[in-house]
Amino acid sequence: MKKLGAVIAVLVLAAVATVGLVSCGGGSSSTSGGGEGKQGGILNGTYASFPDYMDPQLSYTAEGWTAMGEVYIPLLTYKHAEGKEASEVVPGLAKEMPKISNGGKTYTLFLRPGLKYSDGTPIKASDFPYAIERLFKVNSGGSVFYTNIVGAEKFSETKSGGIPGIKADDQTGEIQIDLEKPSGTFTNELGLMFAAPVPQGTPNEDLSADPPPGAGPYMITKSQPGRGWEYARNPYWAKANSKAMPEYPTGTIDGAKMTVVRNPQTQVNDIEQGKYDWMQNPPPADRYTEVKDNYEGSQFAVHDTISTYYFWMNTKRPPFNDVKVRQAINYAIDSAALERVYSGQIKGTQQILPPGMPGYEKFEPYPHDMEKAKELLKEANPSDMDITVWTDTESPNNEAGEYYEGVLKELGFNTKLKIINADNYFTVIGNQSTPDLDTGWSDWFQDYPHPNDFFQPLLSGESILQTNNGNFANINDPALNKEIAKLGAEQLGPEQEEKYAELDKKYMEQAPWAPYGTRTLSTFVSDAVNFENIIWSPTFFEYLTSFEFNE
Amino acid sequence: MAIDPQPEAAIPAGGPGGALPAESEGGSAGYGPWRLALKRFLRNRVAVAFLVLFFLIVAFVLAAPLWADHVAHTGPNETHTLQKLHVGGETREVVTPEGKPIGPQWFEADGKFFLGADSRLGRDEMVRLMYGGRTSLFIGVVSGLITTTLAVILGLLAGYYRGWVDAIISRTLDVLWSLPVLLFGIAIATAMALGGVTIGPIHIEGGSIWVPILIISIFYTPYVARPIRGEVLSLGEKEFVEAAIAQGAGPLRVMFGELLPNLASTIVVFFALNIANNMLFESALSFLGAGVQPPNSSWGTMITVGEELLTTQPLLAIIPGVMIMLTVLSLNIVGDGLRDALDPRSKIRFEAHAGMTEPQGASV
Repeated sequence: MKKLGAVIAVLVLAAVATVGLVSCGGGSSSTSGGGEGKQGGILNGTYASFPDYMDPQLSYTAEGWTAMGEVYIPLLTYKHAEGKEASEVVPGLAKEMPKISNGGKTYTLFLRPGLKYSDGTPIKASDFPYAIERLFKVNSGGSVFYTNIVGAEKFSETKSGGIPGIKADDQTGEIQIDLEKPSGTFTNELGLMFAAPVPQGTPNEDLSADPPPGAGPYMITKSQPGRGWEYARNPYWAKANSKAMPEYPTGTIDGAKMTVVRNPQTQVNDIEQGKYDWMQNPPPADRYTEVKDNYEGSQFAVHDTISTYYFWMNTKRPPFNDVKVRQAINYAIDSAALERVYSGQIKGTQQILPPGMPGYEKFEPYPHDMEKAKELLKEANPSDMDITVWTDTESPNNEAGEYYEGVLKELGFNTKLKIINADNYFTVIGNQSTPDLDTGWSDWFQDYPHPNDFFQPLLSGESILQTNNGNFANINDPALNKEIAKLGAEQLGPEQEEKYAELDKKYMEQAPWAPYGTRTLSTFVSDAVNFENIIWSPTFFEYLTSFEFNE
Repeated sequence: MAIDPQPEAAIPAGGPGGALPAESEGGSAGYGPWRLALKRFLRNRVAVAFLVLFFLIVAFVLAAPLWADHVAHTGPNETHTLQKLHVGGETREVVTPEGKPIGPQWFEADGKFFLGADSRLGRDEMVRLMYGGRTSLFIGVVSGLITTTLAVILGLLAGYYRGWVDAIISRTLDVLWSLPVLLFGIAIATAMALGGVTIGPIHIEGGSIWVPILIISIFYTPYVARPIRGEVLSLGEKEFVEAAIAQGAGPLRVMFGELLPNLASTIVVFFALNIANNMLFESALSFLGAGVQPPNSSWGTMITVGEELLTTQPLLAIIPGVMIMLTVLSLNIVGDGLRDALDPRSKIRFEAHAGMTEPQGASV
């Protein structure tokens, strides 16, 4: 559920690959330091909205992951590289990739010795179980990835007594994790920021205004939710951590200051004038073509992402508890129109898995057909025609919401549109006690390159949470849940990919979503920044350590 | 003193506030006070011109359904993202694949997209402008009515009873007056966005048009209530009030039967000016996202949408801006004209110019 606000990390595909990769991951330094750049400088960046949380265990948006990716390093991490290589899981705080034994159910890792948090506290092996427990205690949306750990399910209810499936030895640094059943994705999940260790004693509450210390090369020195935050070098990086993990990039800038500027027009002007060095969100539609024509290749780059933009329909509430109504909506949505609403920055799709994701097989179950939609709706004849449509303030998602509301009106629904501030949109719609959660906009960027990441957190019954819910459709189909669980336990191969493609079709028959597109994103920097050096990963987007000023 | 009021009453327009009794005297020469005011107002050509402009604007927004049904053939919230216009053998896309909306077509497409499309959603800007004007004017007038009603009631109570009633009302109004209106308005609107608010039997949904109306009405009440209270205080000293009390009139009778008619001119002037202020406040709230909620339009929200396209389609922000400016300007000038016509001091000025003071005064 990385939403934009959320982008996700890359998954190493097969466990087979993982072990082999370790050695090459260690050998090649991915930060280039390409010669023309210089050391030092403070990067002035700008975001259009504040991340959902500035807390490693809570943030589940692209903004949050981009903001904190170089602050909190988990036991495993993703290679700082572009393209396919970026989905390689490599050791982070762990010495090497986990040893998997007991038929794929036991993972053993060793913490590197001598690591310290940015406040000087030594990092202990037992900080890892502390972080996982914290994940459950704060009801994080990311907890769904770790319920497979022995005892975690129970812990998520009792919130006490620890998770027996994790054993940590502070003396030797050994961490042993036992799973209920084998998993094809657990290595990837260990590389998510949710699992990044935090010092024991870190309060079990949202720490967005005062983020806990991390192990990464930068630390957050100041955070003002809604306004901005600042980074400085982690003083213990040079002293301790970089010696313990030399292959992890150190970065050249001394720090950074991120400011929330809600008007993307201003952001573009400020970058052109050099007032800011980088904008995290894409330029507004009105300026997109101009920016692209003028700066592509020198200060501007377009990236394909592995993402799905969709409207969810709450299958628990009428009228969307009727599959015919949901199918009717799918027929009524015209992704060609939405492509224009996004000024060409999405490519139309009608399925759950996006292009580029293993298991993606293009199919178009609901070609746009208003007549058919009306027919289906007539057959369903829902008694409840009053619905609330949710979207966030960030353009063009707000327009997409307005478009969607217009379509629903055309179908004869009485609609109400709620446009929620992008800073807390997902918190609001992820809270089951919010009234009138009927249908609305959402997006999903891969957490790691494994199709499970689109099904497990978004569509499985297990993932329905009271708060920080990611299954906005609240779909809980026992047969499909089982299928997700079964496939998730297997290592991904051609046979599994085929099954995931089938699963995609089965879900679209149920139509809990009306998917409409996959997104392209962009990097836009001022001319002071060494554009060539920036690494764009499909999970973390721009790495802070890859920013460098020109001489 | 109260036994023989005649000597004092014989002094016409002797003190401030004595205007209406004095004008009643003038009525014996053929003009009622309102008629006199109308005559004065009509002589003020600028005010009359702007009153006509205001009525034109009202007519323009009232004609919205006519234009929508018979010319544009679309509603204000209908999207036309993929529609193509056929203009003299040429095909024009309402929204280009890059997301640029079409510019003004004037009458080239038979009035469709007269002012172009409003955004990437391809809604008809002209239709939205007319419907948006309805919303803006509706909010202005309705909150004007609420503000005036509240202000008159509070002003009468405070001015008539004085003492602790006055103290409570005045201090409350002072507190309200001292709040930063716009910031507070945004805060309230944001807080009410999710769940709405329930006041007694009335429930206001978040995102409803009544949210900005409520905010505007409450925040502008002190601006009208305080001057009215002042006026009531001075009117309370007048003999006709004493006379009414002497005749056994109760507080309600005095407030609404005696004082209120004498406040009429003040109320009319404030009402006109208040509508203008309300509309400005509404556009500010809407521009900042705390007023009228999408997909409904008001001139304020239209500026927000237009601002996003300022570099490619500047008219989208300029046109609703100009409409707000014209409406507010006309209401302000009309309000000033009304004050000139209704205020006794300006009467003296007017009559001196007209050379009528002497004969009228002489006739008394």
